[in-house]
Amino acid sequence: MSGIDRRAFFKVIAVSGTAAATAGCQQDVNYLIPYVVPPENIVPGVPSYFSTACRECPAGCGVLAKNRDGRVIKLEGNPDHPLNRGALCIRGQAALQGLYHPDRFRGAVIGGRPAAWEDAERRVAERLATLVNAGQGGKIALVTGSETGTLAQLMDDWVKALGARSRVTYEPIAYEPLRAANRIVFGRDAVPEYAIGDAGYLLSFGADFLETWLAPTENIRGFVAMHSVSGGRAGTFVHVEPRLSATGANADEWVKNAPGTEGMIALGLLKLVLEAGAPAAGVDPGPLRAAVQGVDVQAVAAASGVDEAVMKRIAHDLAGSRSGLVLGGGLSASGVNATQTQAAINLLNAAIGAIGTRVRFGPDAAFARGGYADMLALTEAMGKGEIEVLLLGDVNPVYALPPGAGFAEALSKVPLVVSLAGRPNETAGRAHVVLPSLHWLESWGDSEAREGAIGLMQPTMAPVQIDGTSIEGKSVGDILLSLGRLALGTEVGAGPLPWADFGALVRAAWQGPLARSYAPDQAPIQFWEESLRRGGAFRQVAAAPVSLRTEAAQGAAAPAPLEGDGLSLLIYPSSRLYDGRGADIPWLQEAPDAMTQVAWDAWVEIPAERARQMGIARGDLVSLTSPHGKIELPAYPTELLHDGAVAVPMGEGHTYSGAYADQAGVNTGANPVQLLGGATDRASGGLAYLAVKVSLARTGARRPLAIPQATFDQDHREIAQHVDLAAARELDLRGKAPEHASHPSMYPPLQYPEHRWGMAVDLDRCTGCGACVVACQAENNVPVVGRAQVAYGRIQHWLRVERWQEGPGAHPENIFLPMFCQHCEVAPCEPVCPVYAAYHTSEGLNAQVYNRCVGTRYCGNNCPYHVRKFNWFYYTFPSPLDLQLNPDVTVRQLGVMEKCTMCLQRIIKGKNDARDAGRPVQDGDIQTACQQTCAARAITFGDLKDGQAVVSRLSASPRSYHVLEELGTRPAVTYLKKVVRAGGGHAGGGERKG
Amino acid sequence: MSAASSRTRAVTWADVNRDVIRTVSMPGNLYFGWLCLVGLTLMCGVMAWTYQIWIGMGAAGKRTPQMWAMYITTFVFWIGIGHAGTLISAVLYLFRAKWRTSVYRGAEAMTIFAVMTAGLFPLIHAGRMWYAYWLLPYPNQRYLWPNFKSPLVWDVFAISTYMTISIVFFLVGLVPDIAALRDHATGIRKKIYTVMSLGWEGSDAQWRHYRRAYGIFAAISTPLVLSVHSVVSFDFAMALVPGWHSTLFAPFFVNGAIFSGFAMVLVLLLPMRYYFDWYPYITDRHLDAMAKLILLTSLVLTYFYLCEVFTAYYSGDHFERASVFAKATKQYAWAYWGMYVCNSLVPLVLFWRKARTNVVLLYVISIFVLIGMWLERFNIIVPGLGHDFYPYTWGTYYPSITDSTIILGSFAWFFLLFLAFIRVMPSLSIVEVKEVLPHPVRDPAHAHGGHA
Repeated sequence: MSGIDRRAFFKVIAVSGTAAATAGCQQDVNYLIPYVVPPENIVPGVPSYFSTACRECPAGCGVLAKNRDGRVIKLEGNPDHPLNRGALCIRGQAALQGLYHPDRFRGAVIGGRPAAWEDAERRVAERLATLVNAGQGGKIALVTGSETGTLAQLMDDWVKALGARSRVTYEPIAYEPLRAANRIVFGRDAVPEYAIGDAGYLLSFGADFLETWLAPTENIRGFVAMHSVSGGRAGTFVHVEPRLSATGANADEWVKNAPGTEGMIALGLLKLVLEAGAPAAGVDPGPLRAAVQGVDVQAVAAASGVDEAVMKRIAHDLAGSRSGLVLGGGLSASGVNATQTQAAINLLNAAIGAIGTRVRFGPDAAFARGGYADMLALTEAMGKGEIEVLLLGDVNPVYALPPGAGFAEALSKVPLVVSLAGRPNETAGRAHVVLPSLHWLESWGDSEAREGAIGLMQPTMAPVQIDGTSIEGKSVGDILLSLGRLALGTEVGAGPLPWADFGALVRAAWQGPLARSYAPDQAPIQFWEESLRRGGAFRQVAAAPVSLRTEAAQGAAAPAPLEGDGLSLLIYPSSRLYDGRGADIPWLQEAPDAMTQVAWDAWVEIPAERARQMGIARGDLVSLTSPHGKIELPAYPTELLHDGAVAVPMGEGHTYSGAYADQAGVNTGANPVQLLGGATDRASGGLAYLAVKVSLARTGARRPLAIPQATFDQDHREIAQHVDLAAARELDLRGKAPEHASHPSMYPPLQYPEHRWGMAVDLDRCTGCGACVVACQAENNVPVVGRAQVAYGRIQHWLRVERWQEGPGAHPENIFLPMFCQHCEVAPCEPVCPVYAAYHTSEGLNAQVYNRCVGTRYCGNNCPYHVRKFNWFYYTFPSPLDLQLNPDVTVRQLGVMEKCTMCLQRIIKGKNDARDAGRPVQDGDIQTACQQTCAARAITFGDLKDGQAVVSRLSASPRSYHVLEELGTRPAVTYLKKVVRAGGGHAGGGERKG
Repeated sequence: MSAASSRTRAVTWADVNRDVIRTVSMPGNLYFGWLCLVGLTLMCGVMAWTYQIWIGMGAAGKRTPQMWAMYITTFVFWIGIGHAGTLISAVLYLFRAKWRTSVYRGAEAMTIFAVMTAGLFPLIHAGRMWYAYWLLPYPNQRYLWPNFKSPLVWDVFAISTYMTISIVFFLVGLVPDIAALRDHATGIRKKIYTVMSLGWEGSDAQWRHYRRAYGIFAAISTPLVLSVHSVVSFDFAMALVPGWHSTLFAPFFVNGAIFSGFAMVLVLLLPMRYYFDWYPYITDRHLDAMAKLILLTSLVLTYFYLCEVFTAYYSGDHFERASVFAKATKQYAWAYWGMYVCNSLVPLVLFWRKARTNVVLLYVISIFVLIGMWLERFNIIVPGLGHDFYPYTWGTYYPSITDSTIILGSFAWFFLLFLAFIRVMPSLSIVEVKEVLPHPVRDPAHAHGGHA
């Protein structure tokens, strides 16, 4: 061999070096591999929809899961489900990030380490078998959330088969006082259906029914039906609460009462109603009169801080409306006398004739269950060492129970704690064995919302794959079946748990008793298939007559006593995080709270005056000390709070570990339940959330809150407009005044040959719930940017729900305004773009060509609405969150501008479908993501060229206006002014016109 | 060095050649010290820019609503600086203002380097700078052209035109001087100077052509002095933002540019005069003339400031009023009032005759003016955007380490170019200085001045 000489060496180096360098520039090669055997029912690029039922809160709305190429990419409400009728709330929309959560357990865990599923299962089953065989089944305990239908049945069967302790249902928000009061007053231990939509006058005592109370999606629909103006008529809504909640912000009048006095006020109102005249026909006046014996309205006024005149007016209007409805008892009104409060509200409902009409027993809610008392009893048993195996379903008592309940300590005395949670939480972190259950979108099941409304759940996709490996897990039902059989030593098809899997059990139940009950004339298989398609079985249930019991007349008119000194602590459930179970979902963390607009943290609302006195500014870290604990939170001084109270939302302050949770920073804030001592409502045994007073102290530190809304004051810019009800009526008669502003142009008017897409947003309907924000984020691959970026004006949401305040700071008129790209006809963003990345389409859309964008951000400056969002960084979707991305929407690159497209991909699909069907696009064919999920139906999309389209009619409404109309941008998005009642929002001031 | 003696010494044509050629000789340690400082700062800037390209524009402190901030501020600042050079060399040439002769070369170089610095900023500023060439109308298979409605495209044309003309004008003016350098140089320098002097021999025909060409370029450059900054001002005036959308902007910007340009000329020339001992060429008369121009433009600028406030008030437009009010009272009030102090109050000192020739005072005032003019552009952009139509997004921009370093780096880039220039090129015009000196006469006491 001659060897390599110098020149040859250089040649080799040059060639190989170049090859290496160029190879380094290549991206990984991906191969498109066609299916050898194409899976059935999957057409690439064409989504399939599976109907199921949402399990994000106990309510159980119907869901349609959009499955595209084997993975669910979007959830919509099921239009057939009587609870939500096609809408979905913010938590329902965000469920996808629970499904694709990067911290999901990949498989079984023993002692904090990954383990083989069989090992974990065997370990639990052996222990169970030992206990069962020794006849000590009573040492086995099962705790689950509110479960209904087949799964609840299976759990009870399981408990019976093993001889275990009876199952404990644990929900932090369990409505025990509501049930107890109904038992006391009407003899029915149930939560009835509240027909909010049928009410003409709605009075709420702290019930946050537009946020979390019972079934908020249904409530919003009902509320908008009764409250938004239609044909010149609009109902009235009065809200009594020490703090202005998002629900209260929708009220025509907010009555600020002293914390814990709701029951007194209800009794005072009852007395005034009875004084004004006899109760409604058919109501026994005896218990009513007995109840108000000794009630002194003046004393009530003095104690509650609510003017006697205001109470008289409310009583007069409530009785006079003849379609009144009183709701009561949100968490912040649940003191140790919560049942008495609810009982007084029941009596008030009875007196105004709402029982049987607007309050319907019969179609009782099936979900509102869960006993704090049972949980306490279990904790006691655990503490005594009576529990050997504790199985915990999707519950998190370590987080949600007050420290005084002693659960965390008792837990350490249980030799084997098994968690069935799918994602890490505090309780799962304490478990010896985790057998992760599959997400509800991957499982069979059913969910009973109420009598006559059962949602059927089916797997909408195979278990999620993370980095190519499927999650190892089973549905809760399957885990129980398998554990039970192993413990009992029985086989499939024999013994007390014979079903092959939980799916078979569900099927058996639906083809058996349910089919007989719901469709006696139909073949069971047909009923099953139809239910699968429809998402459940639904039927009308007649209201059952109830009558007042004589024992109803209990209840002393006294404010709820609170422990400790200082300011009353109001703990309220978060409309985004619920009781805390949504806290690990970045979409929910990043969606700003409706009232405070805070994202990514908890806060403590402090009365503004007190904050001034103490020198506390927004973002100052303050400590709250109760007799039972101490937490630290950033301050949020507000005028929208009773002087003697502070308020903290539930849901933050988690401490579980997870790589993604740590990186995303979801373990933030503090848990206000830590301040409670565990005092209970005496009559119902429920946890009293309004139970302590706290002292407030500055810590000297600061943690600025991430608040994207700079100010709630419109500075006279008329961005969110309102009109008085009387004026709205007059406008209806006169029609819209002609626009006086003229905007001459050098350019010829734009031509729209086929369509001109536009939207209308009715501010009179919008309740500010924020479901649209997350729906948009899910549909359009909008990234989550994190706390620091949100705080620094870099939130990426294409759609935001703004809250604007008008009038006196302490009693403002609140207007919620969804703001997104206005698709201006004379768009300021378009001419300034040097490369035509922003341009106007022939269908009236203001388009943004991501590929063409250079990133000069001139358009972002020139957009007066500031709805254009810039990709400041490479925003990532950590695996498996990337599986949720909508393949029809580009994931934007660093350095480009983006914004609302009016769901262009849906427009294209709508046009394609119409073309395939050989017909023109019809109104309603295309729905934007925000519109589809809106329970209030506040958002309408359509073709403005079609004069008959709903959007055209709304755009021409006398209430219509454009935001910043004087700039002459001529937006394609029209807003309809909110209709306010004269004097509305100003408690105690002015007369109210009905 | 005894300043008094050198200030009063009479110079001959020979002195001119010697004094200028001396500047391109081997520099001392002080020069290299400055070069190192400037070079290191520039390196920091380059690294910061690299980081920004890698991480994204989020590395710069921009946000909604301030999607533009310090980059565009500094861009406009440098474009403004780039004005004085052409004004001095072209406009004053056409007006036959004799005092320009000793300052115009330095000013012209300053112009070119300032525009070169400014030209970096559209690149630094773009979210995807690697596609910035899309702003150029180049033929491509997609038939995509830039949007000629966009003021940013106008910028591209205005600045590139200005840059080209300025460079050509500069090089043409250099030809006789380079020839003088060529005659004294050796080695590689001689070769370079030979190429650049375009075969200059100093013949009458060459002189005639040279004068013609110089006049024509001066005439071409003059309208550009007005157009460039007017077009840059359209970036703002054509937009909708309150405080931007104003017909005032073109003259306002041009005047401000001249103002800051002269200040920068002083900042550069005063040290050069000191170190190169150019007292005979840059005399008190020159300083006085420039100080008067600074004073005049300052007064005009103050008038524009008042106009701006008045039109905002008198228009009755809520947005305009709120914008001005916010600038004067909210989080950026320091910048607003700082601008008034630097640009409107401090230059008033120049009404005092002695101040106009006091080197230290002039230097300090010039620095104030430069700061003030930077603040002026900052005030238009950052507080203007921070309090515009939509209260929801009002906000405060905070500079980041990255964008501050890049801004510093841009200054370093400018000074690096200028430092290099003064050591390789005649930074004083040999030809034109000689024109205003008495012609050499045959005198037995003096040898004939060896001029080119």
